[in-house]
Amino acid sequence: MLSYKQNPDPSGLHSRRCMNRKKDKGFEICINNINFQRKSVIGYVELTIFPTVMNLNRIKLNSKQCRIYRVRVNDLEAPFIYNDPTLEVCHHESKQRNLNYFSSAYTAAVSAVDPDAGNGELSIKVPSELWKQGDEMKVMKVYIEFSLDQPKGGLHFVVPDVDGSMAERAAHVFSFGNQNSTRFWFPCVDSYSELCTWKLEFTVDASMVAVSCGDLVETVYTHDMRKKTFHYMLPIPTAAPNISLAVGPFEILVDPYMHEVTHFCLPQLLPLLKQTMSYLHEIFEFYEEILTCRYPYSCFKTVFVDEAYVQVSSYASMSIFSTNLLHSGMIIDQTPVTRRCLAQALAQQFFGCFISRMSWSDEWVLKGISGYIYGLYLKKTFGVNEYRHWIKEELDKIVEYELKMGGVLLHPTFSGGKEKDNPTPHLHFSIRHPHTLSWEYYKMFQCKAHLVMRLIENRISMEFMLQVFNKLLSLASTASSQKYQSHMWSQMLVSTSGFLKSISNVSGKDIGPLIKQWVDQSGVVKFFGSFAFNRKRNVLELEIRQDYTSSGTQKYVGPIKVTVQELDGSFNHTLQIEENSLKHDIPCHSKSRRNKKKKIPLMNGEEVDMDLSAMDADSPLLWIRIDPDMSILRKVEFEQADFMWQYQLRFERDVVAQEEAISALEIFPTPASRLALTDILEQDQCFYKVRIQACFCLAKIANSMMSTWTGPPAMKSLFTRMFCCKSCPNIVKTNNFINFQSYFLQKTMPVAMALLRDVQNLCPKEVLNFILDLIKYNDNRKNKFSDNYYRAELIDALTNSLTPAISINNEVRTVDNLNTDVRLILEEITRFLNMEKLLPSYRNTITVSCLRAIRMLQKNGHIPSDPSLFKSYAQYGHFVDVRIAALEAVIDYTRVDRSSSELQWLLDLVQNDPVHYIRHEILSMLAKNPPFTKAADSLLCNEALVDQLWKLMNSGTCHDWRLRCDAVNLYYTLFGLTRPSCLPLPELGLVLNLKEKKAVLNPTIKSEQGPGGPERPGLTVVLAFPTQEEEDIDMDTVHDSQAFIYHHLNMLERPSTPDITLFQLFALIFTGKEPSSVEQAMLSMPGTPMPTLSKESTSSKHGDHHHHHHHHEHKKKKKKHKHKHKHKHKHESKDKDRDSHAFSNSPASGRSIRSPSLSD
Amino acid sequence: MADSVVMGSGSFNSGSRSGSSKTSTSPTENYQLARRRTLQVVVSSLLTECGFESAEKVAVETLTEMMQSYITEVGRCAKATCEHTARSTPTLSDVVVTLVEMGFNVDTLPVYAKRSQRMVITAPPVTNAPVVPKALMAGQKRTHPSYIPGHFPEFPDPHTYIKTPTFREPVSDYQVVREKAASQRRDVERALTRFMAKTGETQSLFKDDISAFPLISAKPSAIPYLSALLPSELELQSLEETDSSEQDDQTDTENNPSHIIQDDQSADKENVVLPPGGVVPTGKANEENMIDNPYLRPVKKPKVRRKK
Repeated sequence: MLSYKQNPDPSGLHSRRCMNRKKDKGFEICINNINFQRKSVIGYVELTIFPTVMNLNRIKLNSKQCRIYRVRVNDLEAPFIYNDPTLEVCHHESKQRNLNYFSSAYTAAVSAVDPDAGNGELSIKVPSELWKQGDEMKVMKVYIEFSLDQPKGGLHFVVPDVDGSMAERAAHVFSFGNQNSTRFWFPCVDSYSELCTWKLEFTVDASMVAVSCGDLVETVYTHDMRKKTFHYMLPIPTAAPNISLAVGPFEILVDPYMHEVTHFCLPQLLPLLKQTMSYLHEIFEFYEEILTCRYPYSCFKTVFVDEAYVQVSSYASMSIFSTNLLHSGMIIDQTPVTRRCLAQALAQQFFGCFISRMSWSDEWVLKGISGYIYGLYLKKTFGVNEYRHWIKEELDKIVEYELKMGGVLLHPTFSGGKEKDNPTPHLHFSIRHPHTLSWEYYKMFQCKAHLVMRLIENRISMEFMLQVFNKLLSLASTASSQKYQSHMWSQMLVSTSGFLKSISNVSGKDIGPLIKQWVDQSGVVKFFGSFAFNRKRNVLELEIRQDYTSSGTQKYVGPIKVTVQELDGSFNHTLQIEENSLKHDIPCHSKSRRNKKKKIPLMNGEEVDMDLSAMDADSPLLWIRIDPDMSILRKVEFEQADFMWQYQLRFERDVVAQEEAISALEIFPTPASRLALTDILEQDQCFYKVRIQACFCLAKIANSMMSTWTGPPAMKSLFTRMFCCKSCPNIVKTNNFINFQSYFLQKTMPVAMALLRDVQNLCPKEVLNFILDLIKYNDNRKNKFSDNYYRAELIDALTNSLTPAISINNEVRTVDNLNTDVRLILEEITRFLNMEKLLPSYRNTITVSCLRAIRMLQKNGHIPSDPSLFKSYAQYGHFVDVRIAALEAVIDYTRVDRSSSELQWLLDLVQNDPVHYIRHEILSMLAKNPPFTKAADSLLCNEALVDQLWKLMNSGTCHDWRLRCDAVNLYYTLFGLTRPSCLPLPELGLVLNLKEKKAVLNPTIKSEQGPGGPERPGLTVVLAFPTQEEEDIDMDTVHDSQAFIYHHLNMLERPSTPDITLFQLFALIFTGKEPSSVEQAMLSMPGTPMPTLSKESTSSKHGDHHHHHHHHEHKKKKKKHKHKHKHKHKHESKDKDRDSHAFSNSPASGRSIRSPSLSD
Repeated sequence: MADSVVMGSGSFNSGSRSGSSKTSTSPTENYQLARRRTLQVVVSSLLTECGFESAEKVAVETLTEMMQSYITEVGRCAKATCEHTARSTPTLSDVVVTLVEMGFNVDTLPVYAKRSQRMVITAPPVTNAPVVPKALMAGQKRTHPSYIPGHFPEFPDPHTYIKTPTFREPVSDYQVVREKAASQRRDVERALTRFMAKTGETQSLFKDDISAFPLISAKPSAIPYLSALLPSELELQSLEETDSSEQDDQTDTENNPSHIIQDDQSADKENVVLPPGGVVPTGKANEENMIDNPYLRPVKKPKVRRKK
């Protein structure tokens, strides 16, 4: 049981926003029972509110999927309404199937419960006795008892199916969610901008540990000594979404360097935890040093859990990680990855947890700053090369995404709040709320945010940048120690304007244009560059054009840096990109007559000898770079001669330049390119990622040069020289991975070599044998590192070597007609996969590679295509990486073989798999590798599928914001924005355009009853209404009108409505039991006959009944109530079909149960 | 006395005595047969002496067996007695003690030996004395050097102490060693996985021939992350080995020495960038007691008055 209490801090919290009529400042949660067997949680919350308006008569809170037993305000029972429009976005009977419609309805639904707008799912009526008190601005305490039963979101239970006690089974539970998702596990104001202090209490089994935010004050046994209660106190004002919880039989490790830092992992993993956490203190030191600010919380906890939702999630003073980040000291590849994750988590502790955001549109500041300081950490720890490589990678990613999908807008402003003013009309979702965003978009959003921070740094210098951060942090920490009444807490929230003001105060610089360009506006810049050298004038004529018309692009006006490497040295020029000028003349410094002996000075001051014979004798230009510092979010396509790229590759010391040169050289398959690449490959001073990239480029070039290629296959002799024995060049040395650079190269070269093809477009026999020999002679006995990643890449190399089988009249693939090479490959794969069962490798990398290889064999027609193997590996209970690899194969199979049964199987998994991450991955992999697209017809595309997917996103995924957006994404990929073409043409029907108050024939939407559906007297009813209610109806979406119409259809068909059951239910809830007997109450409730009604409840029953009818007469005068109405309609129709017992099974849970006396 | 033991063991041959062809028996057997025959004659004469005129073969045989057993027992016990007194050859007194122990009245023996009607039986013919196989002589025995007195034992055969190097060229060719190690490992792995595949459930890639390329079927586990994250025992074991043999690695000639040196240099560089973690500062263990971490504090007992 978990009980949590937002502590009534005597100092109140004032509302910053007038919209919100309440201000909570203290929150107390108490969870007093967590049942792993039943996966349920019982607890209560108590929040202290300082009304900021007169006559506070209704309090709105966020709560999803919690069963609420009772609500009391200052010890008085308070009636409440529970209404969640996001449960079912569009009315379930609606036949509407277009995505535009869904998106707007979904956005409206999320807005309707948006805490930042003062809304919430749970509406509590303040007892009238307290109204007066409200006038006097007194404190109100709201006490809510609730429970959760098998939560689908918010809290995740992991209960392995083995024998033993829960602790022995390593059963654990943790909170998770995308953005503000705390409402899934307790009622709260689920907003990043509502801060309050916290007191948290968790009573758990004595063998378990409850880890939560804030300081652990004490741990106390319960009276029976079988459980203990963890008391946490978080005095720093914190928003509810930053509260988390993890409970399990964790092993505890106190950080040996920082005793206030505690690490938790699942049983048996302690050695890994020690290894993994051994460098955390360095990250702490780094951030504290650059921010010149102490870590804001008095303690920090890291918890590693299984089946994590995301790899890293940060909460106030704690972070939850995936247990799969843990590694032993033998693992090379995972180590930097894990370090990065830790660094990210810690950066978010400062910006994201401690400093929260004013509103969703300020999110970019937090993500930007945390991403930016994380980048600084990367620079310090992994080196400048790694950092620049990372920046380039991120830049390429965002550019690619924006050019493909349309712009990413960091700081959207919504004027007026109408759908019409959508700032991003190119997207199939709304960016109005974090919960409506596609996951991919959000990732790109974060990526762009930190890149923009870097741009700001370029503009104002890093020193000022860090000063700004320091200022934000010190203001916040001063504020955090103040009492609520001091009105200081808003300093802990960052806003775009506040941040920009800080920048201008600190640096004195105006970064307005920069912000306007990259923050207020979406899109990236696309440059095309070319040049000519004017020998007469000794001038470089540079032409830079822009494409600002395609989607995702914008026009750039302003300075741009160009670096020209001449014979006499490297020179920087700053050009102004203006409206009409494309050409820029840059005077050259060197004469083309060159002194043969002279060394050539480089940008970094180094002087080198170059063989200048390749270059144009008339020109002094060695190479030219546009925007070398990546100070514009841009894509540059620059044309220069192949020899210039080669010089750039060999002699430019910037890894970004080298990488650009390598990608440019792909289209110059010449011996000179080959030589340049080979030289780079061999140079061990060169950054290893550049060398890796060179491998792949070399393979491509070799394939283009196939007919003229001389000597052994590309890279073979190089590999032999570097990694094979001197005495017997066909045998690889025993593994020694102590030098990581050569380790990575040794891993990659075979993979790249396998891409080589001969004249028949087959992988050369020599290469295949070479790789098979590497596998055969691989010997790791003397190595202190594990070779699992290396072996996995050797399997990948085998996969890469596969080419399509020559098919003889489509015969069935059998063992006998297996190609000999393929037989060898298959033997290796079989052996590897089988060995893995006996000696599993770290993260089962080898199984993952084997599965990919088998799919490739199937796809190329060497072995029969069959998904059953993959389906067995995709089952719950395999390691998550293996499952993903297997699912990827099934998805690929689904597309290639157009199998509807596999697609169905996948969609079932999306609905039923216990692991949220898997569900998410299935949908996003399906969207990436779709079985069909809107562009092409497919047998798979049928009405049933449309309905299924629609249902999935409409109501099937209401417990997970991310999953719902994934479903939307998939729907978009498969069917596009409009009505799917596979649906039968809608029947002609009349639709009301209620806005314009007229009925129109609508060809696209509406009233498709389906071919077999009963004929309803739709027309008459529909026509009847406008006359009746012309003045009153104010609905701005079709959605509303539909609900409205359906409601009336129901009313017509079933004139009498037995509402009694509903009222009885409420009677039960409000009769009230003693607070201590909540549990009993809950247990006795299901299926028990209603107790006799108390007077109080009887009266409320009448009240409601009365109200109910009243309600129908005065329909929807208030927009606010429209969702409520909708649900009411639905329930009325349902109620008729159910008996009272069935209905009483769901007291105050889930579906919109209304309290009787509250609605006007 | 030792002979009697040998004789006893020969008794199992008695069955074949009558029909045995001389050619098929070994010298030792012949010797034993002769003794046995003599014993039989003795028994027969004793019977005659007692007044029997004839006896069944079986009876004679039984009596012979009893007699032989008796004599054998006397021999064995006498030998034991003698060895008990740290000697190797039994003396008369040993035999006397033995006979006494076996409940025989020794005093009656001289009288019995000198009785008048006794018959004298000739000793068994020593035609086929057992031939002790001659030890193989290998080489010339060394004579004692001058400083060793002649009564010391002789040198043993030279082959017992002379080192004779059997020179078979050991496989030192690097290529062959690696080849062998690789194929050996591969064979072991293949055999093992085949075995596992044969004895358990399998999955197949082909529908026509399920036995080709059998894959051990994938079994979900309740806690999959444990096997995926924890290093296998094999890896841990080899890690320990490498740790202890780290020094050896430096001089390992298996790889080309020049490369090793190169690798080590670069290794040092690498360590600067990514220092291997887990090096806990010394003295941490002592501080452990002083760490004040709320999670390490003891759990409190519930307060007596703790009412809701």
